[in-house]
Amino acid sequence: MKMNELEKLVNEGVDQLPPLERRTFLRAGFAITGLFLGGSILSLTSVRTTQAAVPGSAYTSGAYPYKPHYSMVMRQNLCVDCQLCMDACVKTNHVPDYGYRTIILEQERSIGENAQETIFIPVLCNQCNEPPCVRVCPTVATYKDKTHGIVVMDDKKCIGCKTCMAACPYNARYFSEERRAVDKCDFCLESRLSKGMTNTACAEACPAHVRVFGDLSDPESEVYKLVHRPETVLWVLRPETGALPNVFYMNDTVA
Amino acid sequence: MKGYKNVLLALSLTLAVGFAGTTFLVADETKDQGDAAPPAQPVATTPSLLDYLGDTKVISIEPVRQMFSHRSHVVEYKLACSDCHTDIFERKWGAARDKGDYTHADAFDQGRYCGVCHNGEAAFATVGEDNCMRCHDSSMSAPDTIYFQKPVRTVVFEHKGHVDMGLKCGDCHMQLFDYRVGAAEEQPEEFIMQALYDGKYCGACHNGEAAFASDTRCTTCHIGVRGDVRRLARAADKNKQNAQ
Repeated sequence: MKMNELEKLVNEGVDQLPPLERRTFLRAGFAITGLFLGGSILSLTSVRTTQAAVPGSAYTSGAYPYKPHYSMVMRQNLCVDCQLCMDACVKTNHVPDYGYRTIILEQERSIGENAQETIFIPVLCNQCNEPPCVRVCPTVATYKDKTHGIVVMDDKKCIGCKTCMAACPYNARYFSEERRAVDKCDFCLESRLSKGMTNTACAEACPAHVRVFGDLSDPESEVYKLVHRPETVLWVLRPETGALPNVFYMNDTVA
Repeated sequence: MKGYKNVLLALSLTLAVGFAGTTFLVADETKDQGDAAPPAQPVATTPSLLDYLGDTKVISIEPVRQMFSHRSHVVEYKLACSDCHTDIFERKWGAARDKGDYTHADAFDQGRYCGVCHNGEAAFATVGEDNCMRCHDSSMSAPDTIYFQKPVRTVVFEHKGHVDMGLKCGDCHMQLFDYRVGAAEEQPEEFIMQALYDGKYCGACHNGEAAFASDTRCTTCHIGVRGDVRRLARAADKNKQNAQ
């Protein structure tokens, strides 16, 4: 049936439409619309999140808003949970035993009948481009530094409401009794980077070179090369939050 | 311990001057009992026949103690001194060990030292599942599972699993691993992944041919700190249950 013929028809209205037919029509409509918007209606998530869920898609343009754009790549499958990174972090940043700035999560995965493999997942503050913690802070005690994009704390402004801790998708914040403020990973900005060092304590301590730290805006840096390596699956944790994290995960071979 | 043995040896020597072999043994034992244990001497161990003159006991501190019974060779098997000395062994304490080749792989398997007779024909072989303990004694106990803590925490090795697979003691010991508990961990700078890639330690088999390559499947062996903590908790639970 052609469009001009269709237009000549009298509108029957929907009053006489059987419920099943109406439902089928609506479902088809939603499915098509949903598909169009990258699942944004049916999955109730935003379009931007969907982009973030596709590995690397938000970043492969090569444009990074900060200079240097600090970032970390985790060569995840090489992590063996020796926790030397955690030890180094505690020592370098004086982290109390009731909190942590970085942690290693563990996941069991079946690799066949009665066989399991363990996946260790190092996690730290993802220094997100759209940090949920910054958005919720009522006193601007935590903010994204305009130069290097590290999410930092202004201890004096922190009122200890812990809203940022609830907002963080990565559980990367804790309240420090000593500082009387929320504490978090700052890519060793205070303890090392500001003193001229170029690597974080955790990355330096890692014996398997799982953690690779560097400037994503520098095409010569190792992080840049890893993030842009062809035929590589690169992912981020909890992309659905739309936080656009700067910590990337990949599996790699032993160098 | 060593001092105690030296004292006994001296004592035996003195006594042996006047008595025939059998007599001195009896006399010595009587004296031992009659002494009512002077406080300076440890009394925990009962001296065995091997501790006395006529049987030079060879004590090898590494890897295990009490490997060779001179007495059984001389008295029971009636070997002459010249059968072994000095063609096979010098008449000097620790001479073979000092040469550095007094091992299964370097010598016994090539028919040197003990391997001259212990070749499976003249005497029992130096390899084989049932033979290890005949020299290495009860100080050898095969562990089920080994948890290495150095150079990184924590690496699991299923010793029993590898034995059940059909591997013999000599397949890994002493060429790749010492028998001694913790020997590999004493050199954490050597006991590293690069060494495995070079075919040392586990890498002799875990090279991608005989067994999965050691630069793959990291977490198969590396159970991590979390894995170790869980293991210790399990062991503690078990102890608690056993105690009840």
